[in-house]
Amino acid sequence: MSETYDFLFKFLVIGNAGTGKSCLLHQFIEKRFKDDSNHTIGVEFGSKIINVVNKYVKLQIWDTAGQERFRSVTRSYYRGAAGALLVYDITSRETYNALTNWLTDARMLASQNIVIILCGNKKDLDADREVTFLEASRFAQENELMFLETSALTGENVEEAFVQCARKILNKIESELDPERMGSGIQYGDAALRQLRSPRRGQAESAQECGC
Amino acid sequence: MEYESKTSRAGPGHSPPSPRQSVRKNLDFEPNSTTALILEARPANLPAKPAEEAQKHRQQYEEMVAQAKKRELKEAQKRRKQLELRCKVEESIGNAAQTWNQEILPNWSTMCNSRRVRDLWWQGVPPSVRGKVWSLAVGNELNITHELYNICLARARDKWKSMPTEPVTEDAGSSLADREASLELIKLDISRTFPHLCIFQQGGPYYDVLHSILGAYTCYRPDVGYVQGMSFIAAVLILNLDTADAFIAFANLLNKPCQMAFFRVDHSLMLTYFSAFEVFFDENLPKLFAHFKENNLTPDIYLIDWIFTLYSKSLPLDLACRVWDVFCRDGDEFLFRVALGILRLYEDVLTRMDFIHNAQFLTRLPDHIPPDQLFSHIHAVHMTSKNRKWAQVLQALQKEQSSPKALSTTVIQEQNNRQ
Repeated sequence: MSETYDFLFKFLVIGNAGTGKSCLLHQFIEKRFKDDSNHTIGVEFGSKIINVVNKYVKLQIWDTAGQERFRSVTRSYYRGAAGALLVYDITSRETYNALTNWLTDARMLASQNIVIILCGNKKDLDADREVTFLEASRFAQENELMFLETSALTGENVEEAFVQCARKILNKIESELDPERMGSGIQYGDAALRQLRSPRRGQAESAQECGC
Repeated sequence: MEYESKTSRAGPGHSPPSPRQSVRKNLDFEPNSTTALILEARPANLPAKPAEEAQKHRQQYEEMVAQAKKRELKEAQKRRKQLELRCKVEESIGNAAQTWNQEILPNWSTMCNSRRVRDLWWQGVPPSVRGKVWSLAVGNELNITHELYNICLARARDKWKSMPTEPVTEDAGSSLADREASLELIKLDISRTFPHLCIFQQGGPYYDVLHSILGAYTCYRPDVGYVQGMSFIAAVLILNLDTADAFIAFANLLNKPCQMAFFRVDHSLMLTYFSAFEVFFDENLPKLFAHFKENNLTPDIYLIDWIFTLYSKSLPLDLACRVWDVFCRDGDEFLFRVALGILRLYEDVLTRMDFIHNAQFLTRLPDHIPPDQLFSHIHAVHMTSKNRKWAQVLQALQKEQSSPKALSTTVIQEQNNRQ
């Protein structure tokens, strides 16, 4: 199980029940729509290594339960997330209206620098649309979120959502973000790379973080 | 020398004394392509083989056929054995069903705690009496009658009818809980409950039944409402009981302290259960426990799904039913014992994996889990720690956590663990 990557990012997928969070994750990883999906109880996981601006980034994705009632449980998974997909369903205004609550939680509980991409999912159901692209993109702008409309069914923009989010985190690492700070949600990949970047860090942690 | 499968042989009216018939006569089973090989001479337009070579080829051919035949006989024997085994299993299920029906169920109160019944119980309750046994074992502390179920159901139907199809406003708080208890999420989740069985989905035979039970429950316990995970429990009960009896068992099951703690999402009490679990985890599997600690793999990550759905989502359904059998007998302690059994069964694999692989493994268990192996691992888990039983450990932790100082430290500890 040897894996080589430069960075490991912890990602969250959050949003109301039935917006397609697990299906987005499944489409991203398996490149296929899961049409017989159970609803998530608690949390499920996915991981994938992607190549972004010449860096291999391993995404460790936490796919959370959507029911409001589970908030107190899922909140405890936010800590140390570097990125998040905030998902609503373009055919359900209710899921759109809940975004503010999700956003507040994410900003408060995850890392300070968390990069969030808003995903208006079920783009393929345009006929039943209740939330316009313009409205959502305005909301995204006001809240400093990236924004895409996605379809877990067709796969449209699904990979892009994850990749764009990862790219922005990488950019932040170049400019302002210090991955070594506690709770950044970012870990270095293999030991050699870490030593190259930061000779101060000891060997003790390498065993835990090499991820193999 | 040429080998040819029998299917490629063509040509009507061309019927030499085929060697295929003589081969076939010796077989008491349908030959497959290997044993049906045919040895033929060279085509007439080519020079014949020298006698020596022809003899050698014939010998090789015979050896080949003999070997294939042996292999096939062996496979046939294996199949027969499997069939016998299956018959035996079915017979023993039949016998067990008879024992349950004729001896145990009529004398339930006197027999249910006897050694013999407990042993039989551990081996799995036969599907035909499963519903009855579960009902009896879960009991009806709440004294719910069929009438009460019908009243709750009627109320739920009224509520659904009067509900506007579109949510009016989005003022948060109280209406949020209301909305959740409502039809929408239940409807959404029903279609996402055992989708592969294709019986609970809209238009499926049990869609309305599942819908009714969950709806009736939100009227019976509006303070709890509908919580994700419930649909799996109700579905398993529906598969084994009539609707009203399924509702009675459902409400009584959820009324057990552990289930109440989880379905009311009483987070601090849930954490107490997880802490108790960790005590026994450390006791039974210290090496794996240390490995999980080191990787910050906290028990909530996998236990939440297992406990909320009583394993019906994570284990194959027939295996989950066997877990339910003993859970109905032994109570919540058994749920945590099963968790330890699973960890014990896969200890070697889990010890070698990192956080994400373990998390993925445990939140999506293998499709095929050998039931008897799992149960022997569950059996091997000992549920005592320093002479204290599960209930005692749990109680001690509860006491500890109810003092506010202790509570705050555990919360901080929990948060640190997440780091």
